[in-house]
Amino acid sequence: MATATAPNLVEAKPREASDKNAARRLRTTGLIPAVLYGAGKEPRPIAVDPKQIQRILYSDSGHNTIFDVTVEGEQAKAMIVDWQYEPIKGSLLHVDLKRIAMDKKMRVRVPIQVKGEAPGVKTEGGILDIVMRELEIECLPADIPSHVIVDISSLAFGEPIRVSDLPKSDKVKILSDADLTVVHVTSVKEEVAPVVEEVAAVAGATPAEPEVIKKGKQETEGAEAEKSEKKPEKKK
Amino acid sequence: MLMPKKVKYRKQQRGRMCGKAWRGSELSFGDYGLKVLEPGWITDRQIEAARVAMTRFVKRGGKIWVRLFPDKPVTKKPAETRMGKGKGAPDHWVAVVRPGKILFEMEGVSPTDAQEAMRLASHKLPLNTKFVQRPTVH
Repeated sequence: MATATAPNLVEAKPREASDKNAARRLRTTGLIPAVLYGAGKEPRPIAVDPKQIQRILYSDSGHNTIFDVTVEGEQAKAMIVDWQYEPIKGSLLHVDLKRIAMDKKMRVRVPIQVKGEAPGVKTEGGILDIVMRELEIECLPADIPSHVIVDISSLAFGEPIRVSDLPKSDKVKILSDADLTVVHVTSVKEEVAPVVEEVAAVAGATPAEPEVIKKGKQETEGAEAEKSEKKPEKKK
Repeated sequence: MLMPKKVKYRKQQRGRMCGKAWRGSELSFGDYGLKVLEPGWITDRQIEAARVAMTRFVKRGGKIWVRLFPDKPVTKKPAETRMGKGKGAPDHWVAVVRPGKILFEMEGVSPTDAQEAMRLASHKLPLNTKFVQRPTVH
């Protein structure tokens, strides 16, 4: 586990918390809306430069980077806790920044990096399946690791590496369940091209319709029908 | 072909496809993915054809996730039938996709192989797509 706190400074402008039209107008000027909260202080709506945020997100320590935010001369240590991307262009839309108290322990999610080449993949023909990509930990802000390295150089086919197998440190407490699988080598069935006759059979077959869920009054209807049958005829 | 096991109603109206796919627009399982760039319907046959094209290309090399499911029935009237007399019978199933949706994901192959597999899959689909990958994958 390697710690990394890059010396970054994000200059933010104050903004008025209002509707989506104001946020859209702000985005056209090249800034994005953000909010700064935490450490027992009032949340503050701000506007930040998306390039500065992207640089932090794509740094070695990623979203766990601790940086300084200045709003009208007021400086605070902060961290990115949430961010939203536009689904098609992939541009940043909004960021949540949290004020950090450097003497208080905090819960963060740290990315897992796989190192080495597994013999299960190299010699046994398996596929490396990374099940868990982030690990939840608790530590002081200064001790947050940039990533957790998982060594897979001795990982054989069918043998998983679990959270309990990860390297431990006195400064960092792992919160994720110890039994969870982090990475394992698995196999995938090869797709065999079907025979021509099978293809023709599939193409000619009419697709069966799924079952339609009926309304739940069937029993009562049935009971009523029975009752009506049992009704004695009126004597004339 | 993919289709639901149980449905509440046999037939559906066409519906609208406005907006973007805010859910299911990021890679969740694999390292590579195929993102759709326009709204539309993708049929069960197209999904299967794309999946088969990818699987045959990567052979035993990779793992594939299909992130869409055709849960909307499309009806069709028989040929040479006069209009009226009610809605036609269910014919096939489609998945409604909005721009930004990740259709397929892949893991366990090189970036070039993944890109080629996704390119082959995209040729089976009626919509424009783009190849996406995790920023940490080099």
